[in-house]
Amino acid sequence: MNVAQQLANGLIMGHAYALTAIGWTLLLGAARLVNFGHGQMYMLGAFVAWWAMRALDLPYWAAIPVAVLAGGVLGAIMQRAMLRLTLQQNLVSLMIVTLGFGQIVEGAAGLAFGAKPQTLASPLNAITLHWGPVLLTAQDLLVVVATIAMFLLLHFVLGRGLVGSWVRMVAEDPRLTQLAGVNVAGIYLGIFAFEGAAVALAATLVAPRTPIITSMGFDEVIMTFVVVVLGGIGSVAGSYVAGLGLGLFSAFFGALVAPAYTTAAAFLIVIPIMVLRPGGLAAGGARR
Amino acid sequence: MTRLLAWLALAVAGYFLPAALGGTTLVYNTLVVTAIFAVMAYGQDIVLSDLGEVSLAHTAFFAAGAYAAGILSVGHGWNAWATLLAAGGAALVLAVILGLITLRTREFAFSLVTYAANVVCFTVCYNWDALGGSDGFVGVPPLDLSLPGLTLAPMTNKDLWPYAYGLLLLVLWFVARFRRSRLGHAALMVHMNAPLAIMSGLDPLRVRLMVFLVSAPLTAVGGWLYAYQRAYVGPDLFETYFLVLMLTAVVLVGRRVLLGPLIGIAVLMAQKSFFSLGAYADKIVLGALLVIVLCGFPGGIVSLLEAGRTGLRRPAILRRVAR
Repeated sequence: MNVAQQLANGLIMGHAYALTAIGWTLLLGAARLVNFGHGQMYMLGAFVAWWAMRALDLPYWAAIPVAVLAGGVLGAIMQRAMLRLTLQQNLVSLMIVTLGFGQIVEGAAGLAFGAKPQTLASPLNAITLHWGPVLLTAQDLLVVVATIAMFLLLHFVLGRGLVGSWVRMVAEDPRLTQLAGVNVAGIYLGIFAFEGAAVALAATLVAPRTPIITSMGFDEVIMTFVVVVLGGIGSVAGSYVAGLGLGLFSAFFGALVAPAYTTAAAFLIVIPIMVLRPGGLAAGGARR
Repeated sequence: MTRLLAWLALAVAGYFLPAALGGTTLVYNTLVVTAIFAVMAYGQDIVLSDLGEVSLAHTAFFAAGAYAAGILSVGHGWNAWATLLAAGGAALVLAVILGLITLRTREFAFSLVTYAANVVCFTVCYNWDALGGSDGFVGVPPLDLSLPGLTLAPMTNKDLWPYAYGLLLLVLWFVARFRRSRLGHAALMVHMNAPLAIMSGLDPLRVRLMVFLVSAPLTAVGGWLYAYQRAYVGPDLFETYFLVLMLTAVVLVGRRVLLGPLIGIAVLMAQKSFFSLGAYADKIVLGALLVIVLCGFPGGIVSLLEAGRTGLRRPAILRRVAR
C-alpha cells in the first residue's frame, strides 16, 4: 500500500465531505433541522452547473456562481414553505417535509436533465500534480482550498459581528430572540439560503471527480450525514475535524479491509455516538 | 352494534371493489399492491401517530419481511406459513436491537439513528452474497398457503386479492384493537404528556420500546406478501420511495384515523396506476402532496373537514375569535 497516497486521498476526501456538510452543519446547529433533501440539493447544484456549461456555453468558472445562486434560491423557497413549522419547532414534521422536497427536486431534475449519467467537466481535472510518491489533480487542491476558506469564513461570521450573534441566539432560543426584536424568520431564511448555496458550491467542486446522475440523491452525500453527527450537532470546527477524520478512515478502511463496507462501518460508528451523546462528539463545547 | 355492522358492511363491500371497478388486470394489480403497501404503512402509522416519532428504519423492517420470504423460499424451500413466521421474527429481532439502542433518543436523534440502521442494513444486503448481493433473489415462488386437504395457492394478482385483502383486514382490526388497548392508551399519554404518564405509573421508555416492537412485524408482514406478489427481492426495497410512501399515506388524511393510511396509499397508488404522468412527474406529485399537507394543514385532510364543520356550527362571533 502506498501510504502517502492513501493519506492524500483521505485528506482530499475528508475536505470534500466537510465541504458538502457545511450547510447542513449550520442548519442543524441553528435550526435543529435534519435535511433529508440535502442529497437532492447536491445533485441539483451539479446539474445546474452542467446545464449552464452546456446550454449557456459558460466556462466552468462561470457555471459555479449560477449553480450557487440556484441553490440559494431553492433553499430560500424551501424555508418560505416551511416557515410556520420552523417557528413552531415542529421537528418531526419538518424532517418529513424535507423528504418531500427531495422527491420534488429529484423528479423535476429528471424531467429537466434526463436520466442519463453526465460528466461535469472541469479543466482542472486534467492537470495532474506529482509530489513525491503522491499523485493528485488541481481539482483536488481546489476542493481543499475552498473547504478551508468556507470553514474560516463561517467561523468568523458566526463568531463575530451582529449576524453571528443573531444566528447563535436563534439556535439557543428562537422565541426569546423574536422578543428581542430580531427578525427570526429572516434569519431562518438566510440559514436555508446558505445551506442551499453551500451544498451547490460543494457539488460544483466535488462532482467533477465522479459521473453525475439525477437519481444519485442521498447516496452521493451519505457520508455528510456522518460528518454532521460526528462533528457535533452544529459545531463548525467539529464538522471540519470530523470530515477529515472520516476521509482518512474511509481511505484506510477501503484499502485495508473492504471498500464496499466503508459506509456501513462509518454508520456503525455513528450509532453508539448518537446514543451515548445525542448532541454529537463536540457537544458541550462552544457552538462555533 | 350499528357501528360494528357498518364496519362489516364496509369490509364486505371492499372485497368486491376490484370487480366493481371493472375487474381488469390493472385494477387487481393496483388494489393488491395498495393492500400490501397499506399493511406496510400501518407499522409506521403506529409509531408516527401514537408515539409522535419518525422511524426511518421501517423500510428496513419491510425489507426484512421480504428478504425472509425470498431467501427461505428460494434457497431453502420453506413454505409460506413458515416464512411468514420468519418474516415477523426477523423484523422483531431487528426491532429489539434497534429499540434498545434508541431507547433514550428522541426526535431527530431517534430519526438519525434509525436512518443509520437502515443504511447499514442496505449496505450489508447489497454487498453480502448470502443475502443476494446487488442482484437479490429472483424467482420467488407464488404464494402457497395450502393446508392438508385445502389448496390455497393463488397464481395471479386476481387470485391473490382475497389474501391481500384478508391480511389488510386483519391488520386494520389489529390497529383498532391496539388503539383501544392499554399499550395504545399508554403510548398516547407518553406522546402527549410524558410527565403525566410518569406520574400515572407508566414507564415511558418501556412503552416506547413496546410500541416500536409491535410496529415492526406489521410492516414486515407487508414485505412478506410483497416478495411473493412481485416474485423478486432485492436491495431496491430499501429505497426512499417506500419511506416517503408510508409517511405520506399516514399524514395525508390525518393521524390516528383508522382508515387514514389505507386511503392515503389508495390515492397514491390510483394516481400511479390510472393517472400517471410519468415516473418523474409522479415523484413530484408524491413529494408535493407531502409538502403541501404538512406545511399547509398539518392535521391532514380530516382537520380541514373538521375546521369546516365547526366553522359552520359556531356563531359568527366565536368564529372570529377562533381565527
